[in-house]
Amino acid sequence: MSSETTARTDMIAERLHVAGLHAPGDAPADAVLSVRDLNVRFNSENGVVHAVRGVDFDLLPGKTLGIVGESGSGKSVTSLAIMGLLPATAEVTGSVRLNGTELLGLSDKAMCRYRGNDIAMVFQDPLSSLTPVYTVGHQIIEALTVHHPKMSKQAKEARAVELLGMVGIPSPKDRLKAFPHEFSGGMRQRVMIAIAIANNPRVLIADEPTTALDVTIQAQVLEVLHTAQEETGAAVVMITHDLGVVAGMADDIMVMYAGKPVETGSVDDIYYSPRMPYTMGLLGAVPRVDVAEKSSLVPIEGIPPNLIHTPTGCSFAPRCPLVSDACLQGEPELWPVSGPLATGNGVAGSGAHKAACIKTDSLGAEVDVHEIFQAPAVPISRFDAVPRLERRTVLELRDVRKHFPLLKGSLIKRRIGTVKAVDGLSFDIREGECFSIVGESGCGKTTTLLEIMEFHKDQDGEVTIGGLSNKADSDARTKAAMRKELQMVFQDPTGALDPRFTVFEVLSEPLENAGMAKPAIRKRIMELMELVGLQPDHVNRFPNQFSGGQRQRIGIARALAVNPKLVVLDEPVSALDVSVQAGVINLLDKLRAELGLSYLMVAHDLSVVRHISNRVAVMYLGKIVEIGDVDSVFDNPRHPYTRALLSAIPVPDPQLERTRERIILQGDLPSPLDAPKGCNFATRCPVFAALPAAKQEKCRTLEPPLETAAAPQAVRESGQDADQQFACFFPDGELDADMLVVHENP
Amino acid sequence: MTNLNAIDPAAVAEEARIENDDVVIAKSAIILRRFLRNKTAVAGLVIFIALTVFSFVGGFFSPWDKETIDPFNIGMPPSAEHLLGTSQAGIDLYALMVEGTRISILIGLVVGLVSVLIAAVYGCTMAYFGGKVDKVMLFVLEALIMMPALLVVAVATSGGGNGLRENLPSWLLLIIVLLVFSWMGTARLIRSLSMSLMQRDFVKAAQYMGIPARRIVWRHLVPNIGSLLVLDVTRGVTGAILAEVAFSFIGIGIKVPDVSLGVLINQATSQVQTFPWMFWVPLVVMFLLTGSLAMMNDGLRDAFDPSSSSVGSAKKTAGKKGK
Amino acid sequence: MFRYLAKRAATYLLMIFLTTSAGYFLAVSTLQPALLEQERIPRPTPEQVANSFRLKGLDPTLSPWERYVDWLTAVVTRWDWGRSPNGAFINAEFGDRVWISTRLFLASIVLTLIIGVALGVYTAARQYKFQDRVITSYSYLVYIVPAPIAYFLVQLGAININESIGERIFFVTGISTPGLEGNGWVQFVDMVAHYAVPTLAITLVGWGTYQIAQRQYLLDNVNADFVRTARAKGLTRNQAITRHALRVSFIPVAQSIAFTIPAIFAGGFFAEKIFAWPGVGSWSIDAIALQDVNAATATLAYGSLIFAIGAILADFATTLVDPRVRVQ
Repeated sequence: MSSETTARTDMIAERLHVAGLHAPGDAPADAVLSVRDLNVRFNSENGVVHAVRGVDFDLLPGKTLGIVGESGSGKSVTSLAIMGLLPATAEVTGSVRLNGTELLGLSDKAMCRYRGNDIAMVFQDPLSSLTPVYTVGHQIIEALTVHHPKMSKQAKEARAVELLGMVGIPSPKDRLKAFPHEFSGGMRQRVMIAIAIANNPRVLIADEPTTALDVTIQAQVLEVLHTAQEETGAAVVMITHDLGVVAGMADDIMVMYAGKPVETGSVDDIYYSPRMPYTMGLLGAVPRVDVAEKSSLVPIEGIPPNLIHTPTGCSFAPRCPLVSDACLQGEPELWPVSGPLATGNGVAGSGAHKAACIKTDSLGAEVDVHEIFQAPAVPISRFDAVPRLERRTVLELRDVRKHFPLLKGSLIKRRIGTVKAVDGLSFDIREGECFSIVGESGCGKTTTLLEIMEFHKDQDGEVTIGGLSNKADSDARTKAAMRKELQMVFQDPTGALDPRFTVFEVLSEPLENAGMAKPAIRKRIMELMELVGLQPDHVNRFPNQFSGGQRQRIGIARALAVNPKLVVLDEPVSALDVSVQAGVINLLDKLRAELGLSYLMVAHDLSVVRHISNRVAVMYLGKIVEIGDVDSVFDNPRHPYTRALLSAIPVPDPQLERTRERIILQGDLPSPLDAPKGCNFATRCPVFAALPAAKQEKCRTLEPPLETAAAPQAVRESGQDADQQFACFFPDGELDADMLVVHENP
Repeated sequence: MTNLNAIDPAAVAEEARIENDDVVIAKSAIILRRFLRNKTAVAGLVIFIALTVFSFVGGFFSPWDKETIDPFNIGMPPSAEHLLGTSQAGIDLYALMVEGTRISILIGLVVGLVSVLIAAVYGCTMAYFGGKVDKVMLFVLEALIMMPALLVVAVATSGGGNGLRENLPSWLLLIIVLLVFSWMGTARLIRSLSMSLMQRDFVKAAQYMGIPARRIVWRHLVPNIGSLLVLDVTRGVTGAILAEVAFSFIGIGIKVPDVSLGVLINQATSQVQTFPWMFWVPLVVMFLLTGSLAMMNDGLRDAFDPSSSSVGSAKKTAGKKGK
Repeated sequence: MFRYLAKRAATYLLMIFLTTSAGYFLAVSTLQPALLEQERIPRPTPEQVANSFRLKGLDPTLSPWERYVDWLTAVVTRWDWGRSPNGAFINAEFGDRVWISTRLFLASIVLTLIIGVALGVYTAARQYKFQDRVITSYSYLVYIVPAPIAYFLVQLGAININESIGERIFFVTGISTPGLEGNGWVQFVDMVAHYAVPTLAITLVGWGTYQIAQRQYLLDNVNADFVRTARAKGLTRNQAITRHALRVSFIPVAQSIAFTIPAIFAGGFFAEKIFAWPGVGSWSIDAIALQDVNAATATLAYGSLIFAIGAILADFATTLVDPRVRVQ
């Protein structure tokens, strides 16, 4: 079939589609799930919200469809509509066919025959998705009982044990009787997956299954999902905002924006030859963990449209750099992309590359996204040229410790041990540099920040900020002087702003406290608003009138108000959508260069860390296991934990993802109760697992010190030590084969 | 399920309006408008104010007062001469009602306001200092909760002759005892609320900016628990009025010669069948009082609730009034 | 768990001791039985009064502290809570009355909880429907009526029913017909006729709070993530709610039991007074009116004890329904 006839058949289908009709035999006969013209409307106080507008896709057996979009794009609503789990007030129209059976319009009771049996779902938040008062076993068995009432009790129990084993829960038999609160988040998500696959469903919908989890746990859970798919042969709908997560898993991708699919196609089409400016922007907005070269991220300005009003033009037009008058004349439909890569026909899921943009043909792989979106130039700081050791030290930590008593019982508390949240931390930050601390939750990175911010005299260890030591004297005056040097930006931009303050009041608070005069405060606030890219006349608004990204900018402006030398950034972008995140990262980059700031950043997203930092420290159980120049550490990680962490991060590059070797760590962070005596990481270490017993003994009994890595040839010749230290006895040891996973190219 | 990027639709709608006339309405103004748009709440407010005004100036509209006995009309139903009839002792019921309502409202307002004040100070102190102070104060609080208030009221107001009872009118004594036993619930609530507020990032941000503790409490904590305080005042007033009636009804609260709604109702119980108006008139007034307060409470709760359904149309009113 | 309960019990014991002591001092300094004696005819001389009180351990010439020490010694060493001004022993007076009060409250507590929780579930399932509005409005209405007045109105209603039928079906005062003779059945009917009205009155006033609370907690949980998970398994919405949301919504209700027991206890005081039941409540209020220091203190201790029992029961109930707080 030539591309011309393809286009024509598509046009006919499209017209029928617009008329609300389906071409006969529209869906491929072998599709397990086929969705046509799905629309969801909610009534709200302000009018009807049209949350999903005309979603079409086909899902073939064993295939994976990735639905990508930012919050509010309608991706989760789509999945709930398919499952029939939307509240009764939602109006759902269109068609959802499972193996040819229409699901829409079925009563709740009739729908129950399919839910959990033929079509199952895994939800985002594992912490709240399991009923707290029932055992895990009870909840798995319930899923079996619903659809197999005649199954014997023993058979059900045996199946539950088998399922728990399949999703990688150790000693599954005993764990059946455990309650959800006795499991970690990653473990609970495994239980969720076990429940979902209990009845061998044909379709498995995973709605952001790993968003709430740490990177290493995310890698584990994705691996479990992969196994589950192999075991059951189910087709998977993977819903996510993270382009990296689906790159390695999905066969087809559907990008959603403002409730509508705006681009569909095979995974390679979407990642290598995006045709819709929104997709291009999204891809350009994600920093890459595997690329050293520094370039600015692509920011997408503006916010997604309000779905109460029917768009009269392209819904992305207000944020699109390529917008022209024609874009505002009617909303573009999904048109097939004619090009060398165009294949197949039909709707999403059949591999056809389609994009909802009238300029599709002029876009493609060869267009530079940075140019289109006018990404700012990479800012250069005046400090970049000065060698690190010649710059002034703005912050120095020497052997800082923070131990908490570990209490047990929620009614009676008794001390059963000590949590070494921070255990002997030393590092320094020089002028103009960004130093990041990375690690999983519970590694002590946030505690470190708090210890620095508290600046207490009786702290265990010394903190020196801009030459002021907490040990010397920490009277009110020293503290005030220290507060001028050091300010903080918080993770949750909403929580960090008093909802009852206007932006003006938020920004004037630190200035008033510094004793600035009223007119000067006004002037400074206007300056600050300009500096962080907000409109100065918005100062009278309340925080809830801003979007998340704008709120974070207000937070940054507040931190900069008193001209600090060092800004502490606690996960500054993790609460933001991808497209907004890029703008904030670019802003932070720019401010560091222009104002000569230093940053101390804590983040779990290593891609962001790589993009923005100069130096990085990897923490595990309260200790630094590897520290150094960001490129050295990321390109040549020596500590097995750093290696595992880096390999766990999904990269938005399908081909690379498919062939990448991945280290999947086993288990969670060990409980502080049975913290290892020697190397903290030994219990999960892939190198340790492969070592002979004699060498294992060393790891188990001795604590490895931080040692400077041997510098590469080039650096050694320049007469300097490499800026990289790590704490491991066997950095180049073989990795245990069980923890290495490589997926063959399908 | 927290979605930080989702924008409050109400805020978006408001944004459009602000874009046009560039005016920012303070939060309290918005709340006031929402409250005023709630018909039930306004009705409650009107009834309550009317009763309060009545209890202060009502006496001027009647030639009788609460002490004068009309020997020709003893236990008479309402008539032209005695608007609400007379009591068994021949005292004008209207005059008694004015006096009784005033005492009841007085007890309600004083106890409601002062107990919330005590609760706020006590609760904030516990939350602010934490540790040992918190533990000891919590112990005292729980011990007070444990004490049956009813018995203490009975003991305090039944005292034979000397001491407190001689120097204080019984309504003042009742106010004191009710105050001692009415603030604990609110204090506990304020404590836990303040504790969670102290953990919020904006309070931490203020601490890290070096803002003094006193200012943080005043500028960040108090306004953020303000809505709770206002709600608890209305609830406290209702509670105190109810308690007065309940105690006086079984003869342990206000004692004759002092008059209150509870006393009036109590006096009429023995002859409900023969003198029904003596029972029903004060009872209806009490219902009007507590009912109007409940209506106000409901309206206030709605106005404070950010997810309240009245958001949408609040804009219109706000728009008209903005300059 | 046992150690925990023991620790809690010890704390409450300390609290009971403190509240009771405080109560004793308050009572001793306010209540003046000697003044009432003066009203007797023939009027006793002050010496006679003092002598008579000294014999009963109520010597008005001693300082409050001395009297407190004596009283405490008697309670701790002999479990003797003292005597009334008229010479009666508190211990003896208390025994029967506690039993009478408990009988009255027990049925009401059980009924209040069952009806309140059941109606809460019922109205939550029919949110904003007619039944929900009627029942919930009723619960809010109860909130603005003082308990004794509500009891009184119920009593009036019962009297009206008796009058309109022309026969005494319900007894609105007392606990049994004095001198009634007959077999078990007659006794039983008599008991029911006496119990019906007070129990009904306490229950009618009591369940409102539980209905509102249970309704709210259940509605909070109806859209919880775990209910969605249960539905995704293949349970219908109603099954998911009854099996999952309901169970979780019991947790806060179980915790609030602590506050039912003292509330019903206080309600019981009013009820005993209005329905003329010779229980602890009406006895102690009458005793206080007669300036009886020891009766007032003993009742205060009894009230505190009831509260402590309620609080410990609440802990216990919470552990029962919420595995998260179970202590291994």
